[in-house]
Amino acid sequence: MSEWLLVDGARRLLADTCTHEVVQAAEAQGWSAVVWDAIADAGYGSLAELPPADALAVLGVAGEHAAPVPLAEALLAGWLMGEAVAGTVAVAPENDLSLRDGRLRGRALRVPWGHAVEHVVAVVDGTAVLVAVASAAEVERRTNLAGEPRDTLRFEDAVPEDARPAACGLLERGALTRVALISGALTGMARLTVAYAGERRQFGRPIAAFQAVQRHLVDIAQDASLVAAAADGAARVPGPFEIAAAKALASSAAVTATRAAHQVHGAMGMTQEYRLHHFSRRLWAWRHEYGDERHWASQLGGAVAAAGADRLYPAITSGSEVV
Amino acid sequence: MLFAPADLTDAELELQREVREFLAEELPRGTFDPGLGMGAPRDRAFSARLAGRGWLGMALPVRYGGHDRSAVDRFVVTEELLRWGAPVGHHWVADRQTGPIINRFGSEEQKQRFLPPICRGELSFAIGMSEPEAGSDLAAVRTRATPVEGGWVVSGTKVWTSGAHESDWFVVLCRTGDSAEDRHAGLSQLIVDLKSDGLTITPIPFLSGHSDFNEVALEDVFVPDELVLGAVGGGWAQNTSELAHERGGPERWLSTYLVLEELIRARPELFEGDPARLALGDGVARLWAMRRMSLSVARMIDAGEAPSVQSALVKEMATRFEQDLLEQIQELIVLEPLRDGDSRFERLLFEAVLSAPSFTVRGGTNEILRSVAAKGLGSL
Repeated sequence: MSEWLLVDGARRLLADTCTHEVVQAAEAQGWSAVVWDAIADAGYGSLAELPPADALAVLGVAGEHAAPVPLAEALLAGWLMGEAVAGTVAVAPENDLSLRDGRLRGRALRVPWGHAVEHVVAVVDGTAVLVAVASAAEVERRTNLAGEPRDTLRFEDAVPEDARPAACGLLERGALTRVALISGALTGMARLTVAYAGERRQFGRPIAAFQAVQRHLVDIAQDASLVAAAADGAARVPGPFEIAAAKALASSAAVTATRAAHQVHGAMGMTQEYRLHHFSRRLWAWRHEYGDERHWASQLGGAVAAAGADRLYPAITSGSEVV
Repeated sequence: MLFAPADLTDAELELQREVREFLAEELPRGTFDPGLGMGAPRDRAFSARLAGRGWLGMALPVRYGGHDRSAVDRFVVTEELLRWGAPVGHHWVADRQTGPIINRFGSEEQKQRFLPPICRGELSFAIGMSEPEAGSDLAAVRTRATPVEGGWVVSGTKVWTSGAHESDWFVVLCRTGDSAEDRHAGLSQLIVDLKSDGLTITPIPFLSGHSDFNEVALEDVFVPDELVLGAVGGGWAQNTSELAHERGGPERWLSTYLVLEELIRARPELFEGDPARLALGDGVARLWAMRRMSLSVARMIDAGEAPSVQSALVKEMATRFEQDLLEQIQELIVLEPLRDGDSRFERLLFEAVLSAPSFTVRGGTNEILRSVAAKGLGSL
């Protein structure tokens, strides 16, 4: 499948499936079988088998429709294990696990949809460990800013299903998935906000006719475009420079664009009856996941400064080839 | 998606390498005082050497001395010149906008007359748009051209005309007719010799003390018919197209870049600390991504599209970034810069602080750009 067909197919599928009601219901129930089954039936569950740029393009579409399913998790788990993981799987962004004599002890933390998936992948001392959620001693439900499950899974001498050297860096590749999601959500939020400003009338005019409102619309469009350019750059060349730069920008834009979008929507955006919160709350959560803007900007700044002044501009044009 | 993904091809990367080698040989770092982006000094000889390499008038037709190359090729060359602080002042306006609009709207005679010397780096142009009562509201221009035997007699005053005193020609937006219904009708563009009788150039000191700014008073200046650019009465559309050439390019994010590079050179120890790393990382990330957007604009131009909304979005955002970067740098160091300070960093900072307000004004204020961009967002 070409990238365009792949993305276009995902767009049609998710636009049809991720209605306001479905996304609302997913939050109440902690899982959306409707959305996951549609995605799995279409074959998107094995994204990790695609070239990274294609897989990330599909993930961007998931962000654009606020798809309430662990699609990024399936991709990241596959990257960590070196091949797509069958069934439903999530990745623990943090853990205090230990693996001794083939036994897993400790906690996997902030696991997306941890209570609902079949498997979880955690990285323990450089080893990617795949373990069945059914083998957890305890599953404690937690919820993030977006109303999505971020559960704690406790293991007591569980036997992993698989354990092998992690095929990629958890923090960097995790950040790369969040960049794609954030970029998609910013695009969706920008479209929603521009449309709303064109329809909502006050003082006898659409509010988009007011310069003060136009300023917000332009800010959102700039944030969305900047992050789309960064997400594209990082997807094509997923090196340390590109990922750090892209996540720093994505996290930063998540803050500024949601502020502007909420301001345009006024009281309408403060309710869960209207779609804006599906984007804004996810953006606030994804901003922090796998390193926020300060973490990655500092990382990038340190690397670039160490490379020296003469390599500063070559780094800006060629990224990881230089730094 | 507003901006299609854009990367450089191998051939474009090769061009980038050639320009870098040329600059390292012509202007080795440390041997010259670099300029700040398009505000860099004029150097006729340097412009001629660029022309010798085929790097002026790149996108103009070969038959007029150009090179039939792409907007992206020009982007690659321009970007390297600006980030190096090379003296681009002499050819800047002619290469960026006057050459392209003469090529697009000019007569065959005008093309043969002006384009070859522009491509050789000989002729220098200024921009005759703004007037005391017509800044953002360009349709309010009062400079008037009255038809006479064989041409036009032009009277009026242009202001904030950069480089008029050192340039050869300027393109004047003026009123050739009146229309009660449409302010945009009745405007025309004339190519005017800056050494014409009746034309007086008076310097207006710029914030930094430089005398690059001018007032140009025209008093019954005769302009022959053959120097009307494009259609009489077609000035508004042409001028809008000309402004589009002014927007969205590398000059919109590189005005303060060298201050950052020189800071790393002058104070490397600063970057052992987190505040400096944060500021540098944020700045570099933004430069990297904005550059990709700007490259995308150049690709759209090559594809025959008219990316006016994209150009406005880029210019508005990038020029604010140029100012923000300067602020971030000043928060990292305790230094009130002196004009004749000891380090190159200090001198650059001095210039940058005093020219920063112009970044978000020249070539269309950010307020105008936001308005242009907002109107196009419906197609998002």
